[in-house]
Amino acid sequence: MRYYVQRVALAILLLLAVSMLTFGALNVLGDPLFNILGPVAGDVNNPDSIKMIEVAKREFSLDRPLPVRYAIWLSDFVRGDFGVTFSSTGQPPVSGVISERLPRTVTLVAMAQFFAIFVSIPWALITASRAGKVSDRISTLNAFFLVAMPNFALAVILKYVFSIKLGWMPLTYVADDPLRSRLFQMILPALTIGLPVAAVYQRLLRTDIITTLQQDFILLARTKGLSRPRILLLHALRPSLFSFITVVGLNTGALIGGSIVSETVFRIPGIGSTLVESVLRNDFPVVLAIVMIVASSFVVINLLVDFAYTLIDPRVRR
Amino acid sequence: MSTTNNSAGNQDEVAKKKLGFGFWLCVSWLALMVFIALFTPLLPLKSPTSNFLDSSQGRPPYAPSWKHWFGTDKDARDVFSRTMHGARISLTVGFSAITAGFLIGGTIGVISGYFRGWIDRVSSFVFVVLLSFPSLVLAILLTSLIERSLLTVSLVLGLLSIAPVGRLARAATMQYADREFVLAARQIGAKDRHIIIKEILPNVAIPMSSLALLGMAVAVVAEGGLAFLGLSVEKGITWGGLIQLGSDASKTLEKAPWISFFPILMLFLTVLSLNFAGDRLRTYFDVKEMTL
Repeated sequence: MRYYVQRVALAILLLLAVSMLTFGALNVLGDPLFNILGPVAGDVNNPDSIKMIEVAKREFSLDRPLPVRYAIWLSDFVRGDFGVTFSSTGQPPVSGVISERLPRTVTLVAMAQFFAIFVSIPWALITASRAGKVSDRISTLNAFFLVAMPNFALAVILKYVFSIKLGWMPLTYVADDPLRSRLFQMILPALTIGLPVAAVYQRLLRTDIITTLQQDFILLARTKGLSRPRILLLHALRPSLFSFITVVGLNTGALIGGSIVSETVFRIPGIGSTLVESVLRNDFPVVLAIVMIVASSFVVINLLVDFAYTLIDPRVRR
Repeated sequence: MSTTNNSAGNQDEVAKKKLGFGFWLCVSWLALMVFIALFTPLLPLKSPTSNFLDSSQGRPPYAPSWKHWFGTDKDARDVFSRTMHGARISLTVGFSAITAGFLIGGTIGVISGYFRGWIDRVSSFVFVVLLSFPSLVLAILLTSLIERSLLTVSLVLGLLSIAPVGRLARAATMQYADREFVLAARQIGAKDRHIIIKEILPNVAIPMSSLALLGMAVAVVAEGGLAFLGLSVEKGITWGGLIQLGSDASKTLEKAPWISFFPILMLFLTVLSLNFAGDRLRTYFDVKEMTL
């Protein structure tokens, strides 16, 4: 029990540190006033604009000292109030933006993870059972190619081949379409994120399956005369999955990173593309909210992976 | 940043002590890229910013031809020349970032792995904080707030590599910190600084340096991603920026795919070479997978 409490406390401490860093960096390095008022913010000699700056400062509580503002933001944030967007009107509220866009990113990341897992498992099984043969070497080379392709480049290639040349896939995402066609529109963006990750998973799982295949119980299964697919699927796969599961969990963060690029190329209004837009517009509350959501999900997933580990192997809980 | 570090290191036992043809092919490609990056202004390239309008061909973009090997973009600028110029920023940023990361992260990692105690606790916590952002999110956040020059973009990407490099250096140091030769050195009265520099560092440096190429691949990809999003070095030509320019509108991509595809090819071959050469070096030096 003490182990779990310690881990959760550490996770909370971590998120506090992340939020302080982000909040500090945004407010020290950036200039939020310009975004709210436009050119007026820089016009400090004109009494009218000075007055407007004063009003805006009070309205967005920028006149308070930094620690106070952080405390206010934090107490609002934990109660689910993410503040107002930094624009002339302060509309729409950040929570509105997030709740509209987060589900799209979650769908995209889940789909990418799904593709990655269900491509890599059969791929690893086949190559592990033929380790060292020509087909295995070709596949290793392919995995190298996939990992070396940056995902923004992969996105452009997939878009060109499947949307423009072959016309099989839609070019962009339309937020008003019915659910089924929206899911269809997400296939290419999800492949963009998922394929390189599948290559990483495959290489890991292949090594582990090869190790498993050298064990005595596999030899026993073989002498019993079981067919090769049966041995692979029913005997070799399950004991090889431990580190695979860890890496799948930990890689979710990398998938969120990939969704930033993928959403931008395929014009999906999720939180990844919103992060890029808001960062360029200095819309700090939105940036802060997205960074916190991403970091929290990252930390929570890490925690769950660790806890799952203690269930499998209690020795970890020292 | 660890995606490429997870690659399985189980090459054939026989192949282990040879670097192989593929390795030298990759090294040649990298050498060519470094040469181009170093001497771009001296090479007989067309100006990357001039507009080579040609009334007989109608309106640009022009397809690849003898005159323009990689074709031209919408403003009739030579894609070949621009792609060559792009090597400069990508490689400079990739190299300086990983150098900065190894210097800072390596130092912190070795010190905390050697002394342990509170230094280790603090630095480990800092590493965990840095690693709890997906690295692209942190890079976007920081580059959006600063003036983006060659130096600052390199520093931001260097900052991102501190945590992964630091953890590796720490793990490697801990492997050696209790070994007999270190204890012997301490017995005869060597100071900690002497032990770290003379005894630990040579042992840690070899496995770490074989990871440098893999790290540089990650940094080059990260720079490309930032440039693609419009957040890399502000003035100057980057591969990511060129790819973005050719794919921003689906019309451009459909009509003139060469604008994006040649920079993609260069970037791909460079990253592939870095990954492959790095992986071969790692098996050559027999670096064990160090648990992150």
